[in-house]
Amino acid sequence: MRTLRFLAILAFSLSFALITSAQEEVTLTWWVETTDQGDLDHLQATLVEPFEEANPGITLNVIGQESLQDVLRTALLGGAAPDILSTFGPAWNAEYIKGGFMAPLDSYSDLYGWQDKLVPWAYGTGTIDGTLYSIPLAFESIVMFYNQTVFEDNGWAVPTNRAELEAVAEASMEMGIHPFTYGNLNAVWANGHIISGYLNNFATQEELRAALTGEKQWTDDIFAEAIALLTDDIADKGWWSGGLENYYQYEGADYWAELASGEAAMMITGTWGFNSAPEYFEETGMVWDLAPVPNMNDQARPSVYPLAIGSTLAINAASDHPNEAAMALDFLISNPDRVLAISSGFNYSEWLLPLAFSVDDFPDGVDPRVQRFHAEFAEATGMGNYGYANWTFWPGPANTNLRVEIEGVWEGIVSIEDYLAAHQAVWDELFESGGTIPVP
Amino acid sequence: MTRKTQPTSRLSAFQRHFLEPLGRWIYIIPLLIVNAIVIVIPSISGILYAFTDWNGTTEATFIGLDNFGRLFQDRVFFRAFINNVTYTGIFLIVPIAVGLLGAYLLAGIRHGQVIYRLLYFIPYMFASVINTQIWRYLLHPKHGVGAFLADYGITFLDFAVFGRRSTALYGIVFVDGWHTWGFLVVLYLAAMTQVDKELYEVARLDGATRFQQFRHVTLPSIRPTLIFSMLIIFIGTTLVFDHVYILTGGGPAHASEVMSTYLYTQAFENFDVGYAASIGVILALWVSVPLSIFYILRRRGWQI
Repeated sequence: MRTLRFLAILAFSLSFALITSAQEEVTLTWWVETTDQGDLDHLQATLVEPFEEANPGITLNVIGQESLQDVLRTALLGGAAPDILSTFGPAWNAEYIKGGFMAPLDSYSDLYGWQDKLVPWAYGTGTIDGTLYSIPLAFESIVMFYNQTVFEDNGWAVPTNRAELEAVAEASMEMGIHPFTYGNLNAVWANGHIISGYLNNFATQEELRAALTGEKQWTDDIFAEAIALLTDDIADKGWWSGGLENYYQYEGADYWAELASGEAAMMITGTWGFNSAPEYFEETGMVWDLAPVPNMNDQARPSVYPLAIGSTLAINAASDHPNEAAMALDFLISNPDRVLAISSGFNYSEWLLPLAFSVDDFPDGVDPRVQRFHAEFAEATGMGNYGYANWTFWPGPANTNLRVEIEGVWEGIVSIEDYLAAHQAVWDELFESGGTIPVP
Repeated sequence: MTRKTQPTSRLSAFQRHFLEPLGRWIYIIPLLIVNAIVIVIPSISGILYAFTDWNGTTEATFIGLDNFGRLFQDRVFFRAFINNVTYTGIFLIVPIAVGLLGAYLLAGIRHGQVIYRLLYFIPYMFASVINTQIWRYLLHPKHGVGAFLADYGITFLDFAVFGRRSTALYGIVFVDGWHTWGFLVVLYLAAMTQVDKELYEVARLDGATRFQQFRHVTLPSIRPTLIFSMLIIFIGTTLVFDHVYILTGGGPAHASEVMSTYLYTQAFENFDVGYAASIGVILALWVSVPLSIFYILRRRGWQI
């Protein structure tokens, strides 16, 4: 009898151990771009803890990684990459997809209804040959920040077209104020922001779309004229940062300080600037605002907001827990309030998934300028007035060529024709190898 | 009469020819294994990838010498190569000359020499990230020394040193030279202290001036150290990356591009790892030139 009792207890203990081992805690790893402790604490409070509370048994490790893209590539090759992959955007994903590092997400999209929740153009950027591989994490655009105090003090109207822009630029130059400020020190991608601003507001949406899909050549006159205009403004007129030489030596702290202090009037950059503008303008007491980049073409047309995705999320094809990783992605996609709560910590410049938000969805206390931008963006893009940002719709090699080799044009050592011919050659290779991004 | 007995401690042939050397090798085998894993295998695979179109993620396809053919038509690569040669040329003259002069002057100081040595060596102790940031701010077009002097009418430095095509590379060489020359001073000083003092005495008695003593006594006596420093300078300036990457990124318009930064761009931004590997092969071959010359001359009995 004693023996039987002992055996029963032993059997029960063994089966209990088996059951608990089957229900083992799952740990998901998610590398993020930011290493700022404040940002990480905010993610812990608004993403990690709510997710773990809603999904007992799953631990979410969000880890900030310096030089995320370089580290991620090495980790993928070495089999040590996290479960959830965060990349700089669709332009970076083609190579990872070709290498089999990103898991297809169509089944999860069908299960959770992602296609109905994400804005269509943004959803499409995550697909290659019709298969979904990534989810957009942050939607962005290219805008023009300006020092409202300087404009008001001088009685300038915010320019909406080329003629108005030239008038403001000339007036500011006479007063010793740089019309624009920006810089590309340790950030050559800054060149791309300005190029995108000019291309999208000089060529039409149809012309750009045609070039991005191979129906038009980049050597076409319209693009050559846009590059020539930009080169004239930045290199010959010296509109940026007091001269091209300074532009090459300015980094974020330099040009934001210049704009916030009134030494410069305007800045063409991405909407991630919502995170920096308040910090710098608070120090100087001046007021910032933003507007669309002015129409650069002589033909009258409305200004354009280029569509852009700043980061994407994907599931590591080698992950042991793809279902749980998909649950983490869905925790964002299916929860607009959650997304707004997370993004609020970045002043809605990051982590703002392109869900079908309306302006009323934003909580009280949101900066009215940020709210106004989202309203105008939704209205403009809803009417079809949108463009294409280089870091989203130019695949990696094309994007690198666009923004790096432009300096040869600005320095006068490469002709615009040769620059665009070389750019077209890169696109020709991409069209042949199938590494392009779907263009809405 | 006692019979002679065999020594009990004599080693067998097996012990002499196998176990003894094995005993010595055991101490260096771990290092050799690490060397093989970290250096040899990656080097060989790097050479092999130079003959492929590998993008770093998918499978590599053999393409023969296509990458090298492309390299020799790449104007940016030629610019980078010339920049490296320029970088090395300046480094072989200026920091070495300054290092020799500093060491020679320091050698004559009796009291407080250690303090001077320490002061000269301090820049070398800075990490390149710190070194570059110091000089980036000192030479900043808006907040730097140039802008400050311009307020007093001295305008020769009032421009963006690292933002101008004609000065970007030389600015970087200056910063790197400032970082390195203290090390050279200490290196040459250590060599100079080994020179026999009687040689200087004899030279003085023969009426040699200080310069003649330096030229005919000091320099020949420290020749091995001098040659060694030239070799490490050649290698270091050919492989230079950090100073260029941080100060200019190779710009403006590739004016300060060097082979290492171009290799980095091809591998990590263009996903063209095969092409980057071919640049690496050229780099390695170029570095091996002075090393080979040094080795051949030593084999021929040159005292270097």
